[in-house]
Amino acid sequence: MSEITGVNTIGLGSSERALPADALGLGLRIPHYAYLYEHWPELDYFEIISENFFGHAEPPLRHLERIRARYPIVLHGVGLNLLGHEPLSEQYLDQVCRLADHVDAPFVTDHLCWTGSQGMSHHDLLPVPYTPELIEFAAERAAYVQRRLGRPFGLENLSSYVELEQSTLTEWEFYSSVVRESGCYYMLDINNVYVSSQNHGFNPEQYLDAIDYDRVLQVHLAGHSREVAHTIVDTHDEPVCDEVWRLYARAWRTGGPFRTLIEWDDKIPPLPVVLKELERAREVRG
Amino acid sequence: MLRTPLDRSSGTLRATPVQYDRTLRGETLPNARASADERLAVYNRQYWFRLFGLFQSAFPLSSRLIGHWEFNDYVARFIGANAPQGYLIDRAIDGFALFFARSWRSIPGGARRPPHLVPRRALIEAIRIDAAFRGVFYAPQVTPFRPDAAQAATLLESRLALSPAAAIFSEHWPLVELREKHANDEGAPRLALPPALAVPQRWALVRRPGGTAQLKLDPREGELLWLLLRYPIAGALGRLEARCSGAERESLPERARFWLARSVELGFWSGLHSQEMS
Repeated sequence: MSEITGVNTIGLGSSERALPADALGLGLRIPHYAYLYEHWPELDYFEIISENFFGHAEPPLRHLERIRARYPIVLHGVGLNLLGHEPLSEQYLDQVCRLADHVDAPFVTDHLCWTGSQGMSHHDLLPVPYTPELIEFAAERAAYVQRRLGRPFGLENLSSYVELEQSTLTEWEFYSSVVRESGCYYMLDINNVYVSSQNHGFNPEQYLDAIDYDRVLQVHLAGHSREVAHTIVDTHDEPVCDEVWRLYARAWRTGGPFRTLIEWDDKIPPLPVVLKELERAREVRG
Repeated sequence: MLRTPLDRSSGTLRATPVQYDRTLRGETLPNARASADERLAVYNRQYWFRLFGLFQSAFPLSSRLIGHWEFNDYVARFIGANAPQGYLIDRAIDGFALFFARSWRSIPGGARRPPHLVPRRALIEAIRIDAAFRGVFYAPQVTPFRPDAAQAATLLESRLALSPAAAIFSEHWPLVELREKHANDEGAPRLALPPALAVPQRWALVRRPGGTAQLKLDPREGELLWLLLRYPIAGALGRLEARCSGAERESLPERARFWLARSVELGFWSGLHSQEMS
């Protein structure tokens, strides 16, 4: 994937720090700061969780300054509540815009989900019924966010644990329609595709075949855990599993190059272990 | 962060998943392996354990003194009354320390649970210490107070304003050291409360470029800082002097100068109260 432009889209490469199409990055996590400051490993970019840097607390911002001086930073949000009932929070968007401008983020991503309703926040990424009616709602709001950001906005597919009776479309039909109609991009999480495929019994390859890879901003890879009743949960506390690597290789052959990022959020190992996952991504690409 | 035993290892949760709303259950499809309720329970567990983990991280000393399960009960009650709102999960914690202090005795079974394990006063002290560490960490960037020539002239008649990135408190049990000692424990069992101190110990916390510095204060230094929070500098010094015996009084001016200079140097103060009022 190279530069993307078109109706309703905001072209990549507008930032001076635009990332290469095959860039490899990591989710920035606190336990890795010490190793980073000592070794400054070769790495194309870091992704930060936007909300962790919204406040005025000095320590996180100080770390961010040090790291952004060496690496490009992209933003990944968890609190947009794109598919919630309430209007999008302008205060939230102001904060994302400020942060994105501050770090000169090449792009921003969040999830195709809802996170709260009626004034309550669940702080979870919750699925919606996949219906044609909701495509328009989602696309309108996503397009608004992208305009507001003034930079490419990617939507991430969820790991989900329930299927809703009202759905009349497959998840990938819904996802691709929202991306297409909004003029936004895919933030394709291949682990999430795998997790949901196991939980709901669909073919992950069919999902990946439905993706328009020209519109993939970034791919996420992560590990997961298996709970009782064989539910797989997107815990980000393990290495990427072989089956997800196989799907990644297949996606790369079909639609690569695309930027790829490893997430590891719990039971976080030392940075060299996580960097080895990036090495594996390089190998898998062939 | 403690990962409270999930059903991955034990097969059950301590709390049975709630009975879900009938409409929601009707809209959720079962699959070959799990009923609608079991599938919804994944989200239920995630919701609660995400919050339990968040609160345990924010209150590491209190949660380990009371025990994680007991602590989770308090969190659940707090969340039940103060469901998280807004997009910042860290804000879900706001108000918990006060809730904990107020609700201690109203918890069913509270009378038989905590007192024989940890005195109420020790737990409230622990939660205040945890809250102080958190407050110092999350304080906005502050320019430390460095008096200029004009301020120096009237400094003695002015009251210092404590920086939001600093905290001064006292303890009756060696809780700060206990907190420090077990800072990196994962999944630790309940901590035993050490014996009470013979005399209370004052501490200061201040955020520094390398992290939060914790200073075990000399008793008189602690008194001075405590007085400085309440009185103009001259008044604080005078009151401290009045508390000292004859021999101690002789060396006090030099020691007080050192403590005062050190507090300024370390960034305890953000300005003068008279300045703020003007």
